[in-house]
Amino acid sequence: MHKSNGSNKSMINRQGDWRTRFEFRAMIVAFIFAPFLPFIISKPLATEIIVYGLFALGFNLLLGHTGIISFGHAAYLGVGAYSAAMIVFYGEVGVWLALLAATIGGLLVAIMIGILAIKRKGAYFAMISLAIGQMFFFLTLSPLTRWTGGEDGLKLPPLSIDFPLYVNLSNQLHLYFFILTIGCLATLAQWRILNSPFGHVLRAIRENEDRIRACGYNVSRVKFLSLIFSGLFSGLAGGLLVVYLGAASINLLFWMTSGVIVMKTVLGGTHTFFGPVIGAGVFLFLRSTISEYTDRWELWLGALFMVLILLFREGIWGSLLNLIEKRFYHSKL
Amino acid sequence: MELTWEIIILQIIMGLALGAIYVILASGLSIIFGLLDVLNFAHGTFYMLGAYAVFVAISLCGNFWIAMVSAIVIVALLGGLFEITLLKRLYGTEPIYPLLLCFGFSIFMPDVIKLIFGLVGKVVEYPKIFQGAAFVGTLILPKYRIFLVVLMGVVLLALWLFMNKTDIGMIIRAATRDRLMVSCLGINVSRVWTVGFMLGVGLAALAGVIAAPMVQTIPNMGDEMTVESFVVVVIGGLGSLGGAVLGGLLLGQVVSFVSFLYPDWSNVAIFMAMAVILVVRPRGLFGEEGRA
Repeated sequence: MHKSNGSNKSMINRQGDWRTRFEFRAMIVAFIFAPFLPFIISKPLATEIIVYGLFALGFNLLLGHTGIISFGHAAYLGVGAYSAAMIVFYGEVGVWLALLAATIGGLLVAIMIGILAIKRKGAYFAMISLAIGQMFFFLTLSPLTRWTGGEDGLKLPPLSIDFPLYVNLSNQLHLYFFILTIGCLATLAQWRILNSPFGHVLRAIRENEDRIRACGYNVSRVKFLSLIFSGLFSGLAGGLLVVYLGAASINLLFWMTSGVIVMKTVLGGTHTFFGPVIGAGVFLFLRSTISEYTDRWELWLGALFMVLILLFREGIWGSLLNLIEKRFYHSKL
Repeated sequence: MELTWEIIILQIIMGLALGAIYVILASGLSIIFGLLDVLNFAHGTFYMLGAYAVFVAISLCGNFWIAMVSAIVIVALLGGLFEITLLKRLYGTEPIYPLLLCFGFSIFMPDVIKLIFGLVGKVVEYPKIFQGAAFVGTLILPKYRIFLVVLMGVVLLALWLFMNKTDIGMIIRAATRDRLMVSCLGINVSRVWTVGFMLGVGLAALAGVIAAPMVQTIPNMGDEMTVESFVVVVIGGLGSLGGAVLGGLLLGQVVSFVSFLYPDWSNVAIFMAMAVILVVRPRGLFGEEGRA
């Protein structure tokens, strides 16, 4: 039994196996080089890349790996951020509990969107998730102003950690390493999820949903789980963002946040593991450079994105993987 | 505030007028999705372009009616150009790519408008004969709002006649059902798709034109409308014209009454209405089983 499983896997997944191994090595290399990042680019930019990289990974769990188009990821990030900020602001608890609250916040939004929309097909899910995302934006903005601070957001006092060792989070470098540590752990966790049997089912659903249903899988339940994992990671990213910014701002919940995370992910390459992180990095770097020269950043962004969709759908990391595969892997066959 | 029956009737008319805009906008979205299987994320952008086109046309010719027609034609042609040069390349890829292309367009276009017209909103005057209000007893009836309701009726009738009584309408309906069969009959389906896209975009432009005097014409006015037109078709059922009509009218009333009674909740109410409908009837009021 075990043997037949193994041989099946190598037959089906030969190409995938090569990619998996290559991406794992790339991830380790990235972990090794990440500590030097804040000395190359500015510290806030480096921190932002880690946080949004984690968010993009969580998002791509749906888009790239399960094939679900979500346009409501601002809700997971934003609700995560506000959960963390509010529990610190009103409950005066520490950073760890705040991150836990953020993750739970993301989870609750995922459960809500899942109940309403998980059985809907592509375009429908996109519309419903976008609408629910906007609902959270307006809820935070106006009826719940008294607790959320409305347009001003919630500003937190300086944060620090006592356990397991003292970290002063007002120091930009310490903050970066704290966020990097959590980001790496979360990335490993996601790697584990995607390379489990469950992860393979996700990709199978992306390729042919009807067939997987015919194989006896409860497709809706698997999708729901994928949504929940995505919500957990995105909520955690929201919590980290609050730790980094020292505040929760209403912009996080705006639909543009959902749109931008789609762009980052597509830019990096949706059908890869590590692409979203690279997409987020390149995107944030480009934004910080381009917006120095022009006020019309969105014009360039929109135009570039259209070109990307028309000509370059594999994204940066996806194209690179294809290129390396063609050069080095197929030549050996 | 006290709810007298005059106020109730006024709110109903306000809601109907708003609903008329939703209906026209969402029926365009629904036609495009039904025919091309493309979720037009740039629908609100074409709505915004309609409003700006009518502003330009009015300042050129001065007449609201000529401006209205020319604005719709210009935006429909622009939509046709968008479909032929860009969108067409993505048919046959994964369905998310046309959606993302439209999304990119919806990021790109408002900034182009900002570049041309500046950040400050433009004012489009009400057409002369519909300025002010008519008084019937103690009732106040804003003329322009009533005109919108009538216009919606006319547009829907024209759309129904076009879809059911003309050859091209019949072809569009057939291509919505089975595009392969239609192309086997020797009809150039790709051209039908272009016509369908232009029709849908033209309806979005019309919605923008008639909304222009009532709202502030700003470059990002379409963003909210994209989301709201999505809510309308989710409530009504995507791909169904009847659904778009009912969903739009329902939403108009919800917005009108909630923003009067609980102003804080006005923006949240439509999404809550959507959530309730999704729980009660997941495929939307008129949605076909299996398509959603």
